[in-house]
Amino acid sequence: MKVDVATRVKQKFSTKRGLRQVKYTILGREMNQGLIFKLILYGIFIVTSYVYLNPILKMLVKMVMSAKDLIDPTVTWIPSSVYLGHVVEAWKLLDYPKSLSISVLIAISTAVLHCISCGLAGYALARLDVPFKKTILFLVFLAFIIPPQVVILPTILMYTKLGLNGHLLTLILPSIFGFGVKGALFVIIFRQFFSTQPKALEEAARIDGASALRFYIRVMFPLARPAILVVLLFSFVWTWNDTYYPRMFLGSSGDMPLALKMSFIDSQLTTFIKNGGLPEYLAEPIKMGASFLVILPPLILYLVAQRYFVESVERTGLVE
Amino acid sequence: MTPKRILSAKRSRKLEGSLFIAPWLIGFIAFLGFPLVFSLFMSFHTVKILPKKIVYDFVGVKYYREILFNSSDLYDKLIPYFQEVVIMIPVIVIFAFMISIMLNQKLPGRFLFRAIFFLPVIFSTGAVLMSFINQGEGNLGFLERFNIGGYMDMFLGDSSWAKPVKTVLNQFVLVLWYSGVQILLFIAGLQTISTSAYESARIDGATPWEVFWKITLPAMSPFILLNLIYTVVDMFTFPSNPVISLINTGNYGFNSALAWIYFAIILVFLGIVILIYSRINRKNAGVNR
Repeated sequence: MKVDVATRVKQKFSTKRGLRQVKYTILGREMNQGLIFKLILYGIFIVTSYVYLNPILKMLVKMVMSAKDLIDPTVTWIPSSVYLGHVVEAWKLLDYPKSLSISVLIAISTAVLHCISCGLAGYALARLDVPFKKTILFLVFLAFIIPPQVVILPTILMYTKLGLNGHLLTLILPSIFGFGVKGALFVIIFRQFFSTQPKALEEAARIDGASALRFYIRVMFPLARPAILVVLLFSFVWTWNDTYYPRMFLGSSGDMPLALKMSFIDSQLTTFIKNGGLPEYLAEPIKMGASFLVILPPLILYLVAQRYFVESVERTGLVE
Repeated sequence: MTPKRILSAKRSRKLEGSLFIAPWLIGFIAFLGFPLVFSLFMSFHTVKILPKKIVYDFVGVKYYREILFNSSDLYDKLIPYFQEVVIMIPVIVIFAFMISIMLNQKLPGRFLFRAIFFLPVIFSTGAVLMSFINQGEGNLGFLERFNIGGYMDMFLGDSSWAKPVKTVLNQFVLVLWYSGVQILLFIAGLQTISTSAYESARIDGATPWEVFWKITLPAMSPFILLNLIYTVVDMFTFPSNPVISLINTGNYGFNSALAWIYFAIILVFLGIVILIYSRINRKNAGVNR
């Protein structure tokens, strides 16, 4: 009798264990380890990735289609031959070498200056004794939410008074002080980063009698690598793509960054088509070629930096 | 350590702090404080730019009146856009939140997907996205495919909301494109939750569902607010936004007034968002404790 019970209990347990094994493989020990869950995740990822990559692929394909392929309705995704004429056309329209060097100059100097100026401000707001800290924090927040349209006209007048209007300096100058495209956001990012760092370092430095600035340059700024990377990349890309400030500040001058040149191409092409100098179906591949040429430098930068960048986003500080 | 020494140390530290923040403050005065005050001043004046000097004639609230009561620009262009934004904001934030939680799982190949999901950060500003929009890339076409339009008409009837809802649904892909930075912020936020919190919850036998509601969501609530604010600001400074073409260097006084009205609307918007957020947050805090 006793034995019977024991075996039955054993049996019950073994079947239970088997069932549990199956359940664990399919559903997972935790919800996020099961097969089903993973399949669903991958499904969502792949669909969303397709949504993101589709326009880019389309751009690449359209760009290299010859006139024959463009008219041929059977050709949608795979061109019969790679034709680079549209890209060359776009290159000429964009005045590529000149616009590219202007864009690179502005974007790189803005990104570097942002790292320096916003880093200083962010560090001060995170760690130092700043008089009226609360007020200044509020001002940073205000700077973040004010649309540039509100202050653009007086800024233009100011630049005109200084005789800088139409000069490329107008686009770099604000970033020296931590302004410019989304400058306030970068201050917030740096502040966020520095406030997660351990305090022991500063205390040690203070006891040793190091000055704050020297300590910052020697220790804190190098530590901020993840934040620097994020700000560098964002600042570069956003400044690169920005057309609003250049349009407002450069106005009539002939020097234009790429993104701004790109926005003029539309109207240029329409004029060409109207004058009969260009068949209509060629406008789009040329536009695609231009888009590609504009995107290419930030894209290369991103592909180089993305590994470190993704890690930087992962790492919020030294301590877990 | 005499008291005097302590005081001077404190003072010198304050000085150091001021030194660090000084460049930013100078910038604030030059690029924001002064222009802000000046544009407010201009909005009450007619500005005539003559070759030698600029003449300001005081006109009071004439321009504000004009914009608010006698012009169609504000209402015809801005209001529909605001309606779209109202729908887009929750969609963007919720989508970004879901995706970031998924990307945070320890899956093989997640780095590849992350790299793809950050792509919009690079493209979603400027002329390139505009050319996507003009191509009709933002259109999924599922409204036509599943005849959702018909159902929508049944639900919303002729209310002014029908059109913006349809626009947003139609441009669903674009909504995904807008959420690059938001995904990033959420992932950074998820990294700040310590793994020990999850482990202890698991040992206590909490289900994943409970873990999400009790640990993940409360820890992420500041990031949700941050993202809401970011999205509002982003939507309102976006190049496709109709107001941007309205404010140009034509009539300085009129345009300054328009910019200020616009800014006021954004502030009201942000106020409402923060209010709703704090309401919900308080409710949740009550439940959790």
